[in-house]
Amino acid sequence: MKMKTAAVHVIVIFALVLLAGCLFIPDDTPWPTDVRTRLVSDGEKDTGAKNLVSAIYLAYRAFDTLGETIVLIVAIIGTMSVVESVKKISDDPTTAVTYDFSLVKEKRSSHKLRTHLLEVVTGKIGPVVLLFGFYVMGQGHISPGGGFQGGTIIASGIMLFILGNPYSKVTEMRQNKILSTIEASAFVLFILVSLLSILTSGIFFSNPLEAAGVKYEYYIIALNALIGLKVGSGISLMCIAMMSRRRT
Amino acid sequence: MIRYILLGILFIIGMYALIFHRSVIKKVIALGIVNTSVVLLFIISGSSIGDAPAFTGEQGARMVDPMVQALMLTAIVIGVCITSFSLALIVHLWGRFETFDIDTIEKRGDDES
Repeated sequence: MKMKTAAVHVIVIFALVLLAGCLFIPDDTPWPTDVRTRLVSDGEKDTGAKNLVSAIYLAYRAFDTLGETIVLIVAIIGTMSVVESVKKISDDPTTAVTYDFSLVKEKRSSHKLRTHLLEVVTGKIGPVVLLFGFYVMGQGHISPGGGFQGGTIIASGIMLFILGNPYSKVTEMRQNKILSTIEASAFVLFILVSLLSILTSGIFFSNPLEAAGVKYEYYIIALNALIGLKVGSGISLMCIAMMSRRRT
Repeated sequence: MIRYILLGILFIIGMYALIFHRSVIKKVIALGIVNTSVVLLFIISGSSIGDAPAFTGEQGARMVDPMVQALMLTAIVIGVCITSFSLALIVHLWGRFETFDIDTIEKRGDDES
């Protein structure tokens, strides 16, 4: 039995080496530079974004980003519904499920990782991280960052905030309703903003206020902000669902 | 060349752990490693035509390919979705079998049916 397992391991490793060889050893064809040349000459003129990655994913390939946000929202719906439906065999089904990060004092001794030290430190770091997340989200068109990156930083800021303030009003945010409302409304607004330009210019995902003299830059900032809010609330929603569910 | 070989090793480590590790949590981590190695392959290939960041400015001719980075943004988001959904399924499995060991889960599932 042992010998057979070892043989299987060797064969699989050999196959993986071959597969990785095919995937990762490149041929001598040079990487094409046409896209870069075009973007360097026209990118900022077309979109107003200094960050060319933002220029691609919110202007040239904005439709792709719409699909990306739909994938994310489907994943969040799936995750939430699966996590909500979990029933433990050993659980008493008559007790209610609660969503709570804080632990009452008598439970502290059994959860050694949830200490006062953690609460003090995360409570102080949380607001700073949240502010940094909004900065990364809002400056996505001229500096490294953007909606998705800022959104994940916002999500970690919200998590630190909730971990650090278990007794204050701030933790009302852990109620699923607020975060899911933010997420759903950001998604609806994203679709509305993308559809709005059909009425004004007839092109999907173009600047709807171009006639009024608003630069494309501001359109990118708005899209970045909507994506950031959506990603931030969605990811923190999933974290809260997975980390805080328990029966009292 | 050495970068591609190292990436291949990373890919092999991820695939090996994905196949042979018995803890489902470690399988999800292995999936993340495979995802990362493929993302890095694209990023490194795109940086073979330059080494400056993807911003407009005086470094235009030395810039990396921004197209690849925008595509990998999508790949990273899909990776996050896969990780979160598989972790949710693991929460479900834990609730039903109270173990992370894939063999035990399989055996108990067979016993139940």
